[in-house]
Amino acid sequence: MGKAKIGLRSAAVVSLAAMALAACGGGSSGGSSGKSGNTPAGQPVKGGTLTMLSLNQEFTDLDPQRAYTGEDIAFLNAYMTRSLTAFKVSRDPKEQGTLVPDMATDTGTPANGGKDWSFTLRDGMKWEDGSPVTCEDVKYGVSRTFATDVITGGPTYAIQYLDIPSAKDGSSVYKGPYTTKGNDTAAYDKAVVCEGNKITFHLAKPVGDFNYTVTLGMGAVPKAADTAEKYTKKIVSNGPYKIQAYTKGNQMVLVRNENWSKDSDSYRPAYPDKIVVKFGLDQSVIDQRMIRDSGADQQAFMRESLLSSDLATVFNDPRYESRRVTNFSPYVIYRVINVEKVPDLKQRQAIAVAMDRAQLRQILGGKFAGDIADGVIKPNLAQDYAPSGMWTGLLGKTIPDSGDPEYAKQLIKDSGKPMPTITYSYSQNPDADKGAASIKSSLEKAGMKVKLNPIEASAYYTTIFDKSRATELMANGWGPDWPNASTVIPPLFTLKGGWDVGLVNDKAYNEKVAAALSETDRAKQATMWQDLNKEAMQQAWVVPTLFENDQRLAGSKVKSASGQNGQLYIGGSAGNWPYNDMYVQK
Amino acid sequence: MGAYIIRRLIAMAGMLVTLSVIVFLLFSVLPADPARLVCGKSCTPSIIKAINHKFGYDQPLAVQYKEFVQGIFVGRTYGEGKAAFDCHVPCLGYSFLRNEDVTTLIKDTLPITAQLALGGFVLWILVGVSIGIVAALKRGKWQDRTIMGAALVGYSFPSFFIALLLIFFVQIKFAVLGFHSYTSFFDSPAEWFKALVLPWIAVAMLYAAFYSRLTRNQMLETLGEDYIRTARAKGLRERTVIGKHGLRAGLTPIVTAAGLDLAGLLGGALIIEQVFALPGLGRLSVDSVTTSDLPVITGTVMVAAFFIILANLVVDLLYAVIDPRVRLA
Repeated sequence: MGKAKIGLRSAAVVSLAAMALAACGGGSSGGSSGKSGNTPAGQPVKGGTLTMLSLNQEFTDLDPQRAYTGEDIAFLNAYMTRSLTAFKVSRDPKEQGTLVPDMATDTGTPANGGKDWSFTLRDGMKWEDGSPVTCEDVKYGVSRTFATDVITGGPTYAIQYLDIPSAKDGSSVYKGPYTTKGNDTAAYDKAVVCEGNKITFHLAKPVGDFNYTVTLGMGAVPKAADTAEKYTKKIVSNGPYKIQAYTKGNQMVLVRNENWSKDSDSYRPAYPDKIVVKFGLDQSVIDQRMIRDSGADQQAFMRESLLSSDLATVFNDPRYESRRVTNFSPYVIYRVINVEKVPDLKQRQAIAVAMDRAQLRQILGGKFAGDIADGVIKPNLAQDYAPSGMWTGLLGKTIPDSGDPEYAKQLIKDSGKPMPTITYSYSQNPDADKGAASIKSSLEKAGMKVKLNPIEASAYYTTIFDKSRATELMANGWGPDWPNASTVIPPLFTLKGGWDVGLVNDKAYNEKVAAALSETDRAKQATMWQDLNKEAMQQAWVVPTLFENDQRLAGSKVKSASGQNGQLYIGGSAGNWPYNDMYVQK
Repeated sequence: MGAYIIRRLIAMAGMLVTLSVIVFLLFSVLPADPARLVCGKSCTPSIIKAINHKFGYDQPLAVQYKEFVQGIFVGRTYGEGKAAFDCHVPCLGYSFLRNEDVTTLIKDTLPITAQLALGGFVLWILVGVSIGIVAALKRGKWQDRTIMGAALVGYSFPSFFIALLLIFFVQIKFAVLGFHSYTSFFDSPAEWFKALVLPWIAVAMLYAAFYSRLTRNQMLETLGEDYIRTARAKGLRERTVIGKHGLRAGLTPIVTAAGLDLAGLLGGALIIEQVFALPGLGRLSVDSVTTSDLPVITGTVMVAAFFIILANLVVDLLYAVIDPRVRLA
């Protein structure tokens, strides 16, 4: 998923508030050891109320076909919207990418070389109103994706992958379940087939990891309860909890779904009795509440990241050791080089070589911000990550983190062509302004002419996706949709991928991507992604700058059954809390 | 008086129409593309086209404005087929990002802002005017200096700073009051009070400081007038002189300021709602700006403008009631 979310807080309010509160002290009662309380740490117990404190006003979407924010999907999947398969809940990064069955009895059966995928649904699953969850509910849910003017903002893998022809304008001939006029429903019925409890997806091309795809945007929806685009405000649960109350901007209360049965769900232990989400809180207030860790806040945790101004307090003090977490966020930060405007390989490499990546990281918070990136596949995609060697010889020599302007000059000279003026576009905010200044300075050291093009945040992606307004160099970020680089390499470096900002369209590369996509041997596929990542870096289609990190803090009584001694962690490709097995220590 | 009110109401309607046209024109030149914002990552030209068609963004601006106005008076229908839904009168548009009609969003948030504004208003008027009178009567004495000094400090602090100090000391450090989400008065009066008491105090502290200074200055000016000397010379009681003659005459500018301040708050107490996590109109406005939710921005701007214009009218009418010297033309 693209890194396009806009923070809702006022930066001025937050920073000044943080200063004010920091000046007032705090943190006197924090630092529970994790062994306090009546139950041993790491031994999960049922009951209690878990509270999530969020800066956001609401969940962007509850609708299983529309939710597209990793953290939200993890939350909703853990508590209310089941999927055919899911990811193992584990603190081991390698295990986090392992598929486990959820609504299905296994992780799916490919046939026809990966063009057909079948899943058999478990018995006994029910919606919150007591009606059974059927194969037709899954089929109906997936069909909603095709109503692109109604079910907006969500993943569209169903449209991309299912064997349904396209109309002349490139849209699918099937238009979803809400319209009859000019709608080829038969095409959908042929592509998605229910036989009893077994659902089969017929794909246009082999997709080796389609059983991963079904974790995203392919949840079931009961037709009778579907309210089209308004379904996202009130969904029907088939998980262990259901919505008791939801006021956007205020709070959501989840209580146990009495029609959910443990016998029909081996994935969710469902420890707490109640889950409360408090929306719209100021992040500086959330930070201080978590630091203080008093009263009911001991059973609370923050949804978003700690403010950078609070990181030193939390990470330099051993009292917070058992409650703080740090890990990779889903995102890689990189700069895209437009291959139509900078077609010469040496010149693109010169841009990459000249950039001062160390300074860019420093601007975003130094060591807390993350690790300097060497590709677009992050180490938290454990199976697919391998060092690309981009900065250790791939571009001809070792490039220091601060850049090598002299070598960049040499590459420009070797290109034998005049270097075009580089216009750098970025979504404007104070940090991005500093980053832009750094990029300008470092490229100018290599003799390039650089212009800056700050763009108002809400107009940024509209601008850079408009070919006529795209510039030579553009800021961007990306996080995978599931733990497979199939959601990284194809979107970023193929025209049909959806996020190919640099307009890369290399025939040989496209063929290799297609081959990797259809590879059903996961280990072999991982090697193919590693090679494609390396090739993209060698081609300098992007300049990776940061594997972004995320730091959070939780109350002393919030634990995870899969955590070491019950300690919470964030992980997986979305860098989310392990919602499935979180519990309240007594 | 009746003719005056009718004239003002007609002018008020004219101002709102003009404002709505200006807002529409302004949005037409903004670079934000609503369809692009809605369709997210997996955008294709055909999806953008379908979304633009659904919300009428593919129509000329004049047609879009006509449909907006029609929506207010006769309602409108969005979408087609089984996904079609009605936006009832007065339909101020539909938020494509929140999947809710703007009128409902405003109906949900405005009462919360109104409770915040009115509670704060009562507090700041009571406190501000009272201590302003005391300061005026004790002019030059320690009470005057203390009140004015405190007012200066209070007035100098930004509202978010006051709000955060209250949260830190009352809710976090001394835990006198826990953290309470907004609850309807009818669901739980106690929870309602706990959720609103600090926001009221934060609003009141800021405004009370200003009103105490304003009241003091007005009182001092009025108490120096000839008619006050005359009233005293006639042997009226001091309470009557101050309450009936001094305060009443000095109230006119206070009423003007109070009316406009209250109206401004009803249009959304942006910072206070943000810091105290109150889901009011102010926060809706801020969020809609940060997410380029143009229909919501239009609706909230119209509502805020309505309150300001209405407050002007009410203030003008109140002049005649408070000060008999004022006659409406």
